[in-house]
Amino acid sequence: MNSFFDKYLLEPVTMFFKKLVQFMPNLLVALIVIIVGIIIANILRFLIIRLMKVVHFDKGCERIGVNQILEKGGIKDIPSHMMGRLFYWLAVATFFIIALNSLNIPSIEQLMTRFLLYLPNVFIAIIIIVLGYVMGNFLGRATLIASVNAGFPMSGPLSHLVKLGIMLLSVTMALEQLGIGEATITIAFGVMFGGVVLSLAIAFGLGGKDLAKQYLEKYFESKPEEPESEEHDDISHI
Amino acid sequence: MKKTETEKNSVILREEVKNQIKEIDTADILIGIPSYNNARTIGHVVSAVQAGLAKYFPDKKAVIVNSDGGSTDDTKGIVEETTLDNLSSILLSHRVLSYHKIVTPYQGIPGKGSAFRTIFEIAEAVGAKACAVVDSDLRSITPEWVDLLISPVLNNEYDYVAPFYRRHKYDGTITNMIVYPLTSTLYGKKIRQPIGGDFGFSGRLASFYLTKDVWDTDVARYGIDIWMTTTAIVYDFKICQSFLGAKIHDAKDPGSDLSDMLNQVGSSIFTLMSEHQKKWKDVRSFEEVPTFGFKYAVGLEPIRVNTDAMIEKFSLGVGQLTEIWESFLPKGVMWFLTSAAEKGSKGFTFPDEIWVEIIYNFGLAFHEKIMHHDHIIKSLTPLYLGKVASFVLETWEMESDEVEDRLDSLCRAFMDFKEYIIERWE
Repeated sequence: MNSFFDKYLLEPVTMFFKKLVQFMPNLLVALIVIIVGIIIANILRFLIIRLMKVVHFDKGCERIGVNQILEKGGIKDIPSHMMGRLFYWLAVATFFIIALNSLNIPSIEQLMTRFLLYLPNVFIAIIIIVLGYVMGNFLGRATLIASVNAGFPMSGPLSHLVKLGIMLLSVTMALEQLGIGEATITIAFGVMFGGVVLSLAIAFGLGGKDLAKQYLEKYFESKPEEPESEEHDDISHI
Repeated sequence: MKKTETEKNSVILREEVKNQIKEIDTADILIGIPSYNNARTIGHVVSAVQAGLAKYFPDKKAVIVNSDGGSTDDTKGIVEETTLDNLSSILLSHRVLSYHKIVTPYQGIPGKGSAFRTIFEIAEAVGAKACAVVDSDLRSITPEWVDLLISPVLNNEYDYVAPFYRRHKYDGTITNMIVYPLTSTLYGKKIRQPIGGDFGFSGRLASFYLTKDVWDTDVARYGIDIWMTTTAIVYDFKICQSFLGAKIHDAKDPGSDLSDMLNQVGSSIFTLMSEHQKKWKDVRSFEEVPTFGFKYAVGLEPIRVNTDAMIEKFSLGVGQLTEIWESFLPKGVMWFLTSAAEKGSKGFTFPDEIWVEIIYNFGLAFHEKIMHHDHIIKSLTPLYLGKVASFVLETWEMESDEVEDRLDSLCRAFMDFKEYIIERWE
C-alpha cells in the first residue's frame, strides 16, 4: 500500500515540486525582465514623443495626409503619440520575448525563433502599404489637379483610378512579401491591371479614332492648319 | 583691387570671359540680355541696345553681355554679328561707339536666374555703375529703353528701375490679379510691373544680389524677376519706375502651361513672404514710386477672350477640387464658390473680397505646408480663371485708364484685408 502511495502519488508530487523549484528562478528572472521592460518601454515612449515634437512630426504627417487617413479611420490620437505607443509596445514585446527565452522551454523557444524570423517581413509589408497609401494619395491628387486644369471632365474617376492602382500594387507587393498566396495574387493583379489597361486602350481607341486620324493626316500630308476656333483666346497671363 | 578679387573669386565665369574682362578693365554701363533660342528676335534687341548706347551715352564705356542658356539655334551668332551699320539714320551726328560685347553661356541651374547671375558677376568685375537687363524676345524695344532704364541710376542715384509698360487690359492677368496687388500690399511700394523682365539697377545693387545665397534655389530657375524687385524693396534700395511704352514680345511657347506659370510666380511670391515676414507685417499703407518717362497712349492689338471656357473650367474645379480647398479655405468662401459654379456664366461675378481671402489663404496654406506646394498653387488655377473671367466681364467696355482705376480698387481690397493674414501668420 505504502509502495503504491509512494510510486503513484508522492513521487510525481515530489518530482513536480523539484521541477518547480528548478523552474522558479527562471520564472523570477522572466518576471523581472518583463517589469524592467515595461519601465524601459515607458521611458522610451516619453523620449520618442519628445523627439517627434522636436522634429515637427505631426506637421509633417498632416502635410502628407496621414492625419486625414487616421481621422477617416476614426483614430483621434495624434501621430507623435501613436509613434510613442508603437515604440512602447515594440519594447514590451521585445522584453516579453527575452523573458520567454529565459524560461528555457524548448517548444516556446522554437516558436519564438520562427516568429522572430518572420517579423522583418511583417515590418517590410507594413512599410510597403504605408508608402503605397501615401504615394497613391499624392499621385491621385496630382492627377486630379492636372486633369482639372486641363479641363478633363472625368478628372475625379481618373484620379481615383491612379490612387487605387498604386494602392493595389502596394497591397500585392506586401502580400508577396508575407508569402501569402504569392502566385495567385501576382496573377490576379496581372489579369486585373491588364484588363484595366486593355479597356482604357479600347475606350481611348474608339473615342479618339477621329482625333488620331486627323493628327496622322495632318502629320503625313502636311495639310494647311485649320483656322483657330472661336473658343481659342489670346490672353497672355504673365 | 576689388575687381581682381571678383575675378579671382568667380566660379561661374569661363576663362575666356575672364580674359575679356581683363581687356575691358572697367566700364560705366552694362546691358545684359539673357537668351535661349531667340534667334528670331535677339538681333532687333541687340540693335536697339547698341543704338540706345550710341544715342544717349556716347561718352560712356559700355559692355553688352549675352548670357545664353545653350541655344541650339543661331542666337549667339546673331548677337556676335549684329552691328549698327548705318548710324546716321538714327543719330544726327556721327559718334564713335565705345562698347564691348561678351557672349557667353551661363553656368549653373538652367534658368533666367542663372543667366542674370552671370550678368551680375560681369557687372561687378568691370565695376559697372549702371546696369540694365532686357528680355531677348522683345519686339517693341526701342533705343529709348536704354536711356529710361540707365539714366535714373546714372543721373538720379536710383538703385532699381522697374519697367512701366502700356499693355492691353487683358495682357498680363497674373500680374494684374495677383502679383501687382499682393506685392504692393505686402511691401507698400506700388510697382506696377514687379515681374516685367526689363530692369535697370546700380552696380551696388548687382553686387548686393551676388551676396545672397539663392543661386541653387527656384530664384535661379524662374523666380528671379520678383526676387530682384522684392529684395530691392525690403533692403531699402532707392526705387523708381520708367515708362517704356508698349511691351510686345514673341509669342510664348505654346507648351507653357497656365498652371505651371501660376506655380512659378505663386511659389516665388509666397516663399519671399515667408522670408520677409518681419518687413511686410508692419506695412499698412501704399507709397507711390517715382516714375520717369513721358506717358503716352499706344495702339494695342485686340485680344480674344473666351470667358465661357474660363467659367467652365472654374465650375469643373469647384466640382472636383472641393476636398483639397476645404482643408484651407474658410466655409464662407467655399459656399460662395459652390453657388457661383451652380449659377454658371449668367451674371457671373467674383468679388474682390472673396479673391483676396482666397489668395491670403493660399499664402497661409503654402507657409504652413499643409500639403505639397505644387498641389496648393496649381489648385489655384480654376479659381484664377474664375476671377479673370469676372474681371473681363466687368471691364469689357472700359478704357485702359478706367481699368487701371479698377486695379487700384483691387489693391485697396488687398490692403483693407491685410490684418486678416497678419493675425493668422505664425
